[in-house]
Order: sequence, then C-alpha cells, then structure tokens
Amino acid sequence: MNVLKSRSRWLILVSVFALFVSACAGTTDETTTTAGAEATTTTAAAEEGTTTTAEAGAQGAMTVTVDINPDAVWSDGTPITVADFECTWRAFLNTPGSISTAGWTEILSVAAGSSDKQVVIEYSTVYAPYKTLFNQILPAHTVANCDDVSTDFLDNIPVSARPWQLEEWSDQQAIMVPNEAYWGDDKPLASRLVQVPRAEDGGIASLGAGEVDFIFPQAFAGITDALAADNIQFEPGYGTNYEGLYFQQGADRGGPFSDPVFREAFSKSVDRDLILANIYDPIFPGSPLLQCGLWVPTVGPWCDNTQFVDSYDPEGAAALLEENGWAKDGSGMWAKDGVVPEIKWMINTPNPRREATQALMIPEFAAAGFNVVADNGDAASVFQQRLPAGEYDLAMYINTASPDPSVTSIMSCDQVPSAANNNQGQNSVFWCNEDASALMLQSDTEIDEAARAELIHQIGQSLVDDHVMLPLFQFPNIAAWRTDLIEGDAPAADAANYRAFNNSSQLWQPTGDDEIVVGAEQWPECINPVTECANSSWMVWTTSFVVLPAIWDTTSDGGFVLTNLVAGEPTVTVN
Amino acid sequence: MARYVILRTAWAIPVLLIVTFLTFWAVKAATDPVQSYLRINPRATPEKVEQYKEAHGLVGSTPEQYVRWLGNFVTLDWGNSIKGNTPVWPDLKSALANSLVLGLTASFVGITIGLGIGIFSALRQYSKFDTLATGGAFVGISIPPFVSAVLLQVFFAILLTGWLNLDTPFLPVAGIYPPGQTEFDLGLRIKHMILPVTVIAIQIIATYSRYMRASLLDVKESEYMRTARSKGISERQVIARHAIRNAMIPIVTIAAIDIGAIVGGLIITERIFEYKGTGDFLLTALANGDFPQVMPLMFIIVASIIVFNLLADISYAWLDPRIRLG
Repeated sequence: MNVLKSRSRWLILVSVFALFVSACAGTTDETTTTAGAEATTTTAAAEEGTTTTAEAGAQGAMTVTVDINPDAVWSDGTPITVADFECTWRAFLNTPGSISTAGWTEILSVAAGSSDKQVVIEYSTVYAPYKTLFNQILPAHTVANCDDVSTDFLDNIPVSARPWQLEEWSDQQAIMVPNEAYWGDDKPLASRLVQVPRAEDGGIASLGAGEVDFIFPQAFAGITDALAADNIQFEPGYGTNYEGLYFQQGADRGGPFSDPVFREAFSKSVDRDLILANIYDPIFPGSPLLQCGLWVPTVGPWCDNTQFVDSYDPEGAAALLEENGWAKDGSGMWAKDGVVPEIKWMINTPNPRREATQALMIPEFAAAGFNVVADNGDAASVFQQRLPAGEYDLAMYINTASPDPSVTSIMSCDQVPSAANNNQGQNSVFWCNEDASALMLQSDTEIDEAARAELIHQIGQSLVDDHVMLPLFQFPNIAAWRTDLIEGDAPAADAANYRAFNNSSQLWQPTGDDEIVVGAEQWPECINPVTECANSSWMVWTTSFVVLPAIWDTTSDGGFVLTNLVAGEPTVTVN
Repeated sequence: MARYVILRTAWAIPVLLIVTFLTFWAVKAATDPVQSYLRINPRATPEKVEQYKEAHGLVGSTPEQYVRWLGNFVTLDWGNSIKGNTPVWPDLKSALANSLVLGLTASFVGITIGLGIGIFSALRQYSKFDTLATGGAFVGISIPPFVSAVLLQVFFAILLTGWLNLDTPFLPVAGIYPPGQTEFDLGLRIKHMILPVTVIAIQIIATYSRYMRASLLDVKESEYMRTARSKGISERQVIARHAIRNAMIPIVTIAAIDIGAIVGGLIITERIFEYKGTGDFLLTALANGDFPQVMPLMFIIVASIIVFNLLADISYAWLDPRIRLG
C-alpha cells in the first residue's frame, strides 16, 4: 500500500509499486482482459476470477504508441519486440500473486503497429500515470506462460537489456557482469558489480574494512560519526519516506477529532519546531521540517513546500476554542459541557523515535490544555488492525511518496471504510471532502504535468484547511563510499534514493581490482519482479531495474527520462 | 545398558510427537499460513484459498492437519515457501549446514579450551592462573555477543587492516566468503569463520571453564579420591583416571544439550556476521509468516534437542553405572 510503513525495513518505496496501489481506487474491477493479436485466449491462471477478451487494437480512451529502438536486443541476441511488452502486461495482470494490477487493468490491448518493433497500447481510460507502467519489461522468450510467471525469475533473470547482466544470484550475493549485447553508450566501467547483504552496522563496518565499496544506509543518530574516516565520503540525499501526525476524524467513530473545531485547535497547538529540534535534528542536523502534506519536495512538482509553514498558532487555537464554547476546567484542560476529551495517541512500539516524541509532546499538550494519552500497540496491530479500523485519534507513522502523486486510493471519500467498500477502504483518517475527492479524480486523468501539479497543490491545501494531518520530516538517505576504491565524486550525483544503482555502470569507476562491491541493507528471498518478491525496494532498484529495460526511468527528483529502449518519445493520443 | 537405551529411546518418540504437535499448533496460530497466503495473493478468490488449504493440508482439525503435515515431512515432501514460492529443502539444507559448521566448530574450540582451563584452575586452585581464569570467565560470560562481535570487527577488520595498510581486511567482517567468490575455498571459508567462532567460543570457554573447575573441585574432595590415593596410585593417574572422568559427568549432559540446540541457529552472531544459518533463516521465515519454512525447521530443532538429550542420558549412564542400574 502507499501507506503505513513505520520503521519497517521492507518499505514499498518509490517505484511503481507504491504508485500501482495508489491508483487502486479506480481499478476495483476484478475483470481482466486478455492481450495480443489473438485476443481470444483466456487467462486461466488468473486468480481474480472472470476474464474477458478484447480485440487487438480496439480503440480506447487513450493510445500510447511506442517505437522500439531497432538495435534493442536482449543479452542473448533476441530482439526486443512487441511480444515482450504484451507478455509484461499479461504477467502483471494475470500472474497469481501479482504485486499489483493497478494500471495494467486500464489497458485494453497491447498490439503490434507497423511492425513488431512498434507497440500500440490502448487504455480504456485516460490514465495519467501511464509512464509508470512498462518500467520492467519481461523477456517473453524466457517465459513459458506469460499469464503466470510466479515460478519464473525466482533466483535468476536470465537475460538483460541494460548495461549489466545478472550472472549469479543467491542468498549470499548477486554478481553482475557487462552485457556484451548492450547497444547503448553507457557500457560498464567495471568488470563486475557484486552486491552482498550487509545490514546497517555490518555495512558500515564492511565499508570501513574495505570489504564493500559502497553502501546506502538509512540515517540514524550518530551515522555521520560512524562514517567519519579519511577514505570514506558520504552524501545525504532526501528519500521518499516522510513521517507525520494524522488525525482520525470519522464522524461515526465518535473520536474527539470528529469535531472540526477541536481538531483545528489541536492541530494549531502542535509545536512541530519543538519536535524537529528534539527528535529529528539529532538524526541529521540542519534538516528542515516538511511543509507539504502527502508528497515530498524532492519527488516531482507535487509538494507545495510552504503550505504548513504557519501550522503552529497556539493563541489562535485558544481563541477558536473559546469562541465555540470551550473553556479550561480546574485542571487546565479544555472542556465543553464539563467533558474533557481524551485524545488517544497511537504509535507502534517498540519505536524509540516515536516513543521519545510522545514523551516530549504529551506534557506539552497537557500544558496547552489537551488530555493526550499514549495508546500504543505492536506494529501488526497498529498497521494491520487499528489504523484501518480507525481505532485511534492521533497517529504517527511514516508514509512513502511515489513518483505518481495520486492520493485517491488513500484520501478520497469512497475510500473511507464503509459497508459500500466492504470496510476495505484505505482512507484511514476517515477524511471526506467531496470537493477534494473530485480534484483527486480529476488529477488522475490529467496528463499535463503542470495542470496536474496545480490540482495536487489544491488537494494539499485541502489537507491544510481541513486539518487532516501534520507533516513532520522527510528522512534522508545516505550514500557512502570508499574514495580509495571508487574513483571520484561521481556517486554523489545521485545520492538520493536508489537511483544511484541505475547509474552504477557509469558513475562508479573502480580503482585497483576493477570490481565494485555494494553492501545491500536488505536482501530479498527471490527476485521475481512481478510477485511479492518485488515488495522490496532494494530488490527492485538493485536487481530488476538494473537488468530489465523500461520505456522511462524515474529520476531521483521524481521525473521521468526516456531510455534508449525506444527510438523516440512515445506518441500519446487521447481519443 | 541395552535395556536402558531402548527404554529411553522409546520414551523419546512420544515426547517428540507431543512437543512437535504443540509446536505445530503454536506456529500455525502465530503465522497462520492462510493469512500469509492472502498477504502474498491479495486477490485470491475464496475458491483459490480453499484450493490452497486443500493442497497444503490445512483442512480438518488441528490433529488431522498435524498428521497430514507429519506424513509429508517424513516423506520429504516439504513443499514451497509462501513468499517466493521456492522449495523449502534446498535453502533449509544450506542454512542447517552453515549453522552446524559454525556451531560445532565453536563448540569444539570453546569446550576444549574451556575444559582445559577449568581443569588447570581446579588443580591450581587460588593460584594466579586460577584467579586470572576466574576473572576472565566472568568477563567472558558478561560480554554479550553483539558487543564482543563489534569489538572484534572494529579491531581485526578495520583498525588492524588500516595499521598494516592492507588491501583486504585482516579478518573479514561478514559473510561466508569474500564478495564475488563463487568457488569453494577452504582457506577463505576458515578465514571468514574466525571472528564468528571466536564470538561464540568466548562464552563457551567462560562457561565451561567454570563448570569444569567447580565439578573437578567437588570430585577432588570426595571419599573415593582418598581411597584411590590410598592405593598408592600416582596423583597424575588419580586425576586422569578418577577425578576428570567423574567430573565430566555433569559436563557431558550440559554439552549434549548445548550442541543439540545448535541447529536452532546462533541468531545474534549469525545476524551480525551476515552468516546465512538457521537463525537467520528462522527469523526471516517468521517475519514473512512462512509456515512451510518455519515448521520443518522447528521439527528439526525439537528433534535435535530430544536426540541430544537422549545421548546425554545414555552418556551419563555409561559414565555412571548407578544411573542405568537405578
């Protein structure tokens, strides 16, 4: 989901997968369509149940035409053709256990155009995040059944269409060697790229010992001291994880924040600068507060990073409450009709950072007249049960921003858990603003980026106006490398996110042994890019994205760049 | 003796079945294979879920499910993991082999040195060596493995490598082989085991030296030792033939139980040194709620502990005839 990942190391990060789910709102139909020129076969392996057929080339609401680079071949020499695109669509759509079908369900057909090097993709609706699909194109000729690739790619992706080719993968290491059939100019500068699992402390120790040349650890208090050495350089880059406070406001839940006045007053009483100074600054000194809602400033143009600047207004909060009949009781707490609301603040434990935030802020809230009590639970109960059920008043957790800015699946009115959605809605703050929901749906079909950004900023302002949440901090990632083992400063160019791995063929020039060794903080059980194996940002960014071709690559700042898989910018036609 | 062995073995079988049934029930409740399957296959239809339950023996009462699972287990039909859909046995085999190599090596080194120190301390009670060994043992027992591991990593892998200006670490920080190694190499394998073995052995040495010292001191003061000495046997022979053999009786029991637990993995050490053993395997499988991976390992752990307890009992009886005759 595009939500709720506390300190889990297995974050569903940027990649399309977060996006896929974020787009779920419009893709609740379980019906799937079959692909290809035949357009008559059924997808028997699909778990979703019914399948229908569509005629190849049937005109939908949007058509994307892609011309494949004539030189583009897999590492075994097989040309990359429309068959690979079609297979990819079918695999993501129909494979049992596909990590997400969102977006793929919008496609009516994937068919050849003027030749098998031209791909015509028909969408049933105008699908704004179309660039996020086809970013891991599967080699059709290595797959027995494109409708079920769940038993493929478990410990091998046999061919590549990128500079590196996977030579070996196990639970101990991944070894990549140059792809001799690669047609691009960015051929690898090293003879091998080796990745080995090295968790947080082990990674830093391995870097210090020279066992690995490059690591990409999460920031923690004291990390800059741990990395301090003459031959180690590190560069912070802002990632996609951000932490915030969320107010559960469901009218039928009976919580204190269902009263908009009380919610606004409380929101205005949260001194975020105090949290920054005491909780986040020790992690990475000098980092600022996040000032936009469900996006981050380093990913796309979606974050208006000024919207929450004036969120702290204790005098305004007191005045607002008094105007609406609230008064402080004998204990100094705000009360109405003699009742002091109890605010249950839920975090997952153990989580030292959030527990420290509670210890810091609960007395501050009491001083401001709010009776806040810690009401914590383990991660499983918090994220899998209580949050979806709205069994909290105030929650603090990490969210992940994706390149696609859609928040329809987590913030629209029809995603508020209710009987209508079988209580499976993902809007766990129970916020319903019809105007904002309309903007969300409109933004999902707006393919002009500037216009879409404007819509997203309006949605962001609704978050401010309705006091839905308070953003706190965008967590930095750190790229650290041995200057005596990797030449130059190049890795700093893409320190943010996992983008550095995409450029490893060019940025990381080795010294000495002609080999680059990466310490990976997480190690997946398998490397299938379609199934749950892909629920690992490390696997996707360090393995499947590194060998499988894409139409567009995402950049560290959330943009999209055309790859050399295609001959030119694809043509998008809204019919 | 034979009767004793048969009786003890006969008792071990129902114990194994009862404990593994309870384990099966607990693991199933904790990991819930159907929920794990649904997490991986969120769009699975009810029919597919039923098919999955049928195929994996998850229908019927818990005892029925256990019997079905046990049948598959003993016929080596261990199925595939839920996450990744990979066969359970190859990964588990590899993890078991790694843990056994690490654990047995550390146990051999640790017990041998620990017993040696314990014997020498007991024979030289209150000497400088005894004082030093006692102090060292307390330090060794007190230092948790995650502390000693990091200290050893910093000194041998980072500081020493820097001081000696080496291109590769003096001793490796982690892994079973250096990154990029694809072939078996005994020398590199041993080199990569030095630090993890040392971390584990520190605690074993400390513990067993204390056990042995205490046990030998007890024996030295016993009446049969005076009897042995009164026969005119040399002190060296008295110690070797009577004292050490009798002092070993409780040690054998403890050692057997400790060694039996090795298959459960050495979780902290394996995690710190990125050593892919059963501890790492179990933690990952539990985190994924992967019942098909967890349960076979749990059975092997339980069986191993029961078997080694049985061996301890038999050894005890062999060393002390009073036990088997009683």
